[in-house]
Amino acid sequence: MQSEDEGSEGDESDNGEVDEFPEIDPRSDSEADEEYPGDSAEDEEEDEDKDDEEDEEEESEDQSEDDDISDDDLHIFPKAKTVTSDITGQLKRVFPPIEPDYDSDSSTEEAPNRVGNIPMHWYDELPHVGYDINGRKVLRPARGDELDKFLETIEDPNSWTSAFDKKAQADKPLTAEELDLIRRLQENEIPDAQYDPYEPTIEWFTGKGKEEIMPLSGAPEPKRRWVPSIWEKQKVMKIVRAIRQGRILPNKPKTASDKAQFYAIWNEEPSAHPAPLPAPKPRLPTHAASYNPPEEYLPTEEERKRWEETEKEDREQNFLPQKYSALRLVPAYNQFIQERFSRQLDLYLAPRIQRTKLQIDPNSLIPKLPSPNSLRPFPVYKSLSVLHAKTRVRSVSVSPDGAWVVSGDESGNVSLWEVIVGKEVKRWKFDGKVGALEWCPRTDVVFFVVATEERLHFVIPPNLPAPVLFATQAVLSPANLPPAPATPSPVKWTSVSAASSSSEKPILTIDLPPSSGLPKQIAWHRKGDYLSTISSGEGQGGVWIHQISRRHSQAPFKKVKGAVQLVLFHPTKPHFFVATQRYVRIYNLAEQKLLKTLQAGIRWISSMDVHPLGDHLIVGGYDRKLCWFDLELSDKPYKILRYHSRAVRSVHFHPTYPLFASSSDDGSIQIFHARVYNDLMTDPLIVPLKILRGHQVNEGLGVLQIKWVPRQPWLVSAGADGNVAVWCS
Amino acid sequence: MGRLRQKGKAGAAKAYVTRSAAVKRLQCSLADFRRLCILKGIFPREPRNRKRANKGSSAPTNFYYAKDIAYLAHEPVLKKLREHKAFAKKLARALGRGEWSSAKSLEDNKPVYRLDHIIKERYPTFIDAVRDIDDALCMIFLFASLPSDSKVSPSLIENCARLAAEWQLYIMHTHALRKVFLSIKGVYYQAEVFDQTVTWLVPYQFTQNIPSDVDVRVMLTFLELYQTLLGFVFFKLYTDAGLVYPPPLDTKKDESAAGVGAFSLQEVQHTAGPEPASKAKTLDADGKRVSSKDVRQTIKSISATVVDDVDVDMPNVDSTSEEADEDFVAQPSRSNPQETAALPTLQALNSIPQSTSTKLFSPYTFWLSRETSRPIFEFLVRSYGGRIGWPATSGSGSPFEEDDESITHVIIDRPLVVKDNETEEERERRQRRKYVQPQWVVDCINAGKVLLEEPYAQGKTLPPHLSPFEDRAGAYDPTLGLGAQDVSMEDEEESEVEDVSEPEEDAEEEAARPEKAALKAAAAAEDAAALRAAELEAEAAGVDFGTFEKTAQKARKKAKSSETPAVDESEQDMNKMLMSNKQRKLFERMKHGEKKRAAEVSSSGKCDCASLIIFRSDKTSKKRNEL
Repeated sequence: MQSEDEGSEGDESDNGEVDEFPEIDPRSDSEADEEYPGDSAEDEEEDEDKDDEEDEEEESEDQSEDDDISDDDLHIFPKAKTVTSDITGQLKRVFPPIEPDYDSDSSTEEAPNRVGNIPMHWYDELPHVGYDINGRKVLRPARGDELDKFLETIEDPNSWTSAFDKKAQADKPLTAEELDLIRRLQENEIPDAQYDPYEPTIEWFTGKGKEEIMPLSGAPEPKRRWVPSIWEKQKVMKIVRAIRQGRILPNKPKTASDKAQFYAIWNEEPSAHPAPLPAPKPRLPTHAASYNPPEEYLPTEEERKRWEETEKEDREQNFLPQKYSALRLVPAYNQFIQERFSRQLDLYLAPRIQRTKLQIDPNSLIPKLPSPNSLRPFPVYKSLSVLHAKTRVRSVSVSPDGAWVVSGDESGNVSLWEVIVGKEVKRWKFDGKVGALEWCPRTDVVFFVVATEERLHFVIPPNLPAPVLFATQAVLSPANLPPAPATPSPVKWTSVSAASSSSEKPILTIDLPPSSGLPKQIAWHRKGDYLSTISSGEGQGGVWIHQISRRHSQAPFKKVKGAVQLVLFHPTKPHFFVATQRYVRIYNLAEQKLLKTLQAGIRWISSMDVHPLGDHLIVGGYDRKLCWFDLELSDKPYKILRYHSRAVRSVHFHPTYPLFASSSDDGSIQIFHARVYNDLMTDPLIVPLKILRGHQVNEGLGVLQIKWVPRQPWLVSAGADGNVAVWCS
Repeated sequence: MGRLRQKGKAGAAKAYVTRSAAVKRLQCSLADFRRLCILKGIFPREPRNRKRANKGSSAPTNFYYAKDIAYLAHEPVLKKLREHKAFAKKLARALGRGEWSSAKSLEDNKPVYRLDHIIKERYPTFIDAVRDIDDALCMIFLFASLPSDSKVSPSLIENCARLAAEWQLYIMHTHALRKVFLSIKGVYYQAEVFDQTVTWLVPYQFTQNIPSDVDVRVMLTFLELYQTLLGFVFFKLYTDAGLVYPPPLDTKKDESAAGVGAFSLQEVQHTAGPEPASKAKTLDADGKRVSSKDVRQTIKSISATVVDDVDVDMPNVDSTSEEADEDFVAQPSRSNPQETAALPTLQALNSIPQSTSTKLFSPYTFWLSRETSRPIFEFLVRSYGGRIGWPATSGSGSPFEEDDESITHVIIDRPLVVKDNETEEERERRQRRKYVQPQWVVDCINAGKVLLEEPYAQGKTLPPHLSPFEDRAGAYDPTLGLGAQDVSMEDEEESEVEDVSEPEEDAEEEAARPEKAALKAAAAAEDAAALRAAELEAEAAGVDFGTFEKTAQKARKKAKSSETPAVDESEQDMNKMLMSNKQRKLFERMKHGEKKRAAEVSSSGKCDCASLIIFRSDKTSKKRNEL
């Protein structure tokens, strides 16, 4: 209450209290009490009320004085005069009397717009501005047009300080207060003229005469305010004691702990842990690092250039050798710190690898084999060669007695010659290429088979002794032919009668099915009754087995997976080897089933031969490999040899000697010693013996076929250069 | 059925951790991790299969053994590093609040770690420590020559200089220096301490500045470890030698640039101390006296007996020992008649070979000219028993002045200038002394004997200075190709002797030389060992015609025998067919390496020695992981 009253001097003017003040002012305190109807509750508490009243009294007096001053500014009511009352002797205000003329009487005034306090914009669109008390429309008073308005503004000097009053529907001049308010708003001043933002502070409790004297509470002063703390004392004493005993050093001498004290750290026993591996030491400097190196260490111009061009990390040496004539001329090494730093980076950032260095002589890796000299005999030199004119000699065959050789070339010539002298005895001419030719392995009869296009010719060489000739003729064209097979065969056997036969013409011809192409290979069974041929062209794989005694041919396989490359009869068992492009399959002919599939690991098999004992097989491939199979051991090669620089063309085991040979398109023939042991525990011994060179490579083809001479360590080789050579030991 | 194995629970995935995982596990910063790795000697490992070790990720990372990291987690230094982190925070706060007194007390109680336990851990025995001080010595010598700056404190430099001086003092005291090499990078020294060869590199005396691409923090961490290591090693070395460690430093001398002379070696006084060192010293001296007598006697006996057997195992002694004897005696006797002890007649001194070779310069007194580097040559001469003096411009502490009568050699490194105004006394003194270039001292040490001064005289073009470290078998020897004008001392002496005595034989020998060369060329086809033997023999037989002929015969025999291997070779070539693929590849690799090495030797002799442990040369990964 108090603060409100005293808050500002000009408040009263707004809240209308001013009206009451003239009446309150002269009254006594008790009167005031009686006047307020709600004060009955306050009466019960006499003490407080008294205080309040006293305060109020004082304040009201103050206010009355204040009002006197403030009244000067107010112009709403006529000015009051303060006079001393005659009756009470007190000061009182006296207002001028109201004159009862027309101006003062409201009834005489022109009726103002009495539509009530309603928002006038409701009638903006309407011709009237409301309703009077009788419910009639109050029409909007007529207003002049724009010209009138303009003229009014010209005529009336106060028109710019007047505003349109909607209630009155007329222009009303603004009062001085309103104008002042507008001005203050325009100038961003506080709109209320009476408000003082800088009024002095009022010290409510410490101001003059307002000091608080009485205590707020009656509690006595606590002891802790004036007795020293026992706990603090204990804490301090603890530190004091520690300092006295020397446990805490207030100012530790710094140098003593700073200096590293060294002692005999290695005097006690080392721990059981092994020491970590020491870091590798850097390389020791070579002659090149000398300040005065020998001349040969100094880099040439191009070496220097290359050194400068290479990246720092890639350089073999991290410096360029330089020569100084005297030690005093040697400058500081500008990479010294960098090198130290890189060494340290190596020490803590580089992973270390422990490498075991092989301290072996590389030559000890080469297998120790018996010397070839101890494994004689084997062919070492070319003893003679027979020339076929300008064509490749595809096939060659040596007679079972080892005396005669037939060789056939691509132009259809077959020549018969002696191994020892190389003299050609006879020459036959066939139509088309000679794909293969082979002597019959029988010793009681003598003939050989020549394969040309879709045809097999059985030829008896000339100059045979009479009994042998008769026996041969009897085999090839017997007097009474065996009965023809029940089913008609596509293979036709035609023979010339024994009487009319000669060595000029083949005594027996087998016509293979048409479009079967050139037979690539002829393989004899060791007894000489069966022979197998492979033709290149036909769909069925072109494998035919011909039986001479029955004059019958049959195709053993209805369907073969892959193109058949080679076939072979097992030397002792009724087994049949069939080499397709990648695999070698072994069939049992008696039981008619597949025994084994050998995986050579060769892309394309070119040649194959079986050991005379029948337990080992060698396979050559166009991808330069030669595989040795131990048939008892595994279907994987026991050994893979790769020594030819071109495709292997032909491989052959010697029938009696422990030798085998391989020929290749690089024009060389490799002779091996191949000893096979009967007991299963010992591995076969393979020793390379000799490389025979002498054939020319012609259009990428070298030595096309090789054959051993039975009973002699000799070799016959047919080359693409048209030569057939005999190699002797 | 066994339990299902989860991925990443066993094997490489468990055994290795990546660097970031390690840092996370140790809860320290990367810089602290680096510091720990350096101090503890933990380095990254290369797993067999990076993908398996990194749980299937092939991102490029470095791997550490998980056990190494687990071991680091218990490291007291790591605890101290954490304390230091807290300390740094407290100090920063105190400074920020302007609480100077509390900051000061914090600073006083700063946590400091000790590395003693790490030294003991990394080097369980003293020998382990000695084996590994190469890098430490290099760093100490480098920092001893660096200027101090904001990162490298003066006290650190001072400590490094002190350690360097202590090491040099020890080497000089024990005469442990074996090889010296003046390279363009600095001076390489090799000493033998406790049967371990210690090699260190000292930069030439120039001011080095730390380049900007070098991380000084890494170097300082290493230096921290090395200082501690060397402190303990020197303590052990000094106490074992019966010396007080640390040797007291005379500050006054140090300020006047006395170098190593500022320290004084003091023997331990009390009786219980390691006496044997001093005993050994006297014994040493005794041995020397005895040896000098021995030498004379043996020389006499040698001159009386046949020399043939000597020249085989002692190639550095002339076969014509009488003349050699005269020659050798004549050389040093000009200055000092009692110098036979210093003769390099080592063959007679098998009983005590060290005392002579390590006291190589003991009969001589050297004077250093002012343009030569005093620290280098003072160290060299003194560790080989010589006396040395230097002008005051090279620092104080010279034991004698320039006009001292005892000076036998002047180490001088400036061109020859003819002086006109020379007093009689000066000329006389100049003639009495030998003026040699600095390389002579080093070459003498590497040769293990005193060489002729003539080729090293002042103003002469020096013979090439060769590395003493290239004594690997089969290494390229530049002295071989030089033929008649060989610089190698024995040849020099040889030719000189022959020049004096019999010119006819010289001519004969000259005629024989090309033959010898041819012989060598013939022998060159053989393997390295045979080649070496042949060379040795040829060298030894350089004078003796009989032996030379014998070797020639041998060579002829060899040439004959080399015919048959040609056949063998083709045979072996065929046997190669039967090698398995693996063997063949290994064989080809080895042959390739052999061929490459041979090519290197034949081109310039630039060879590399292979160490068992190598740093993985993954430079990129190293770059990447620089912390």
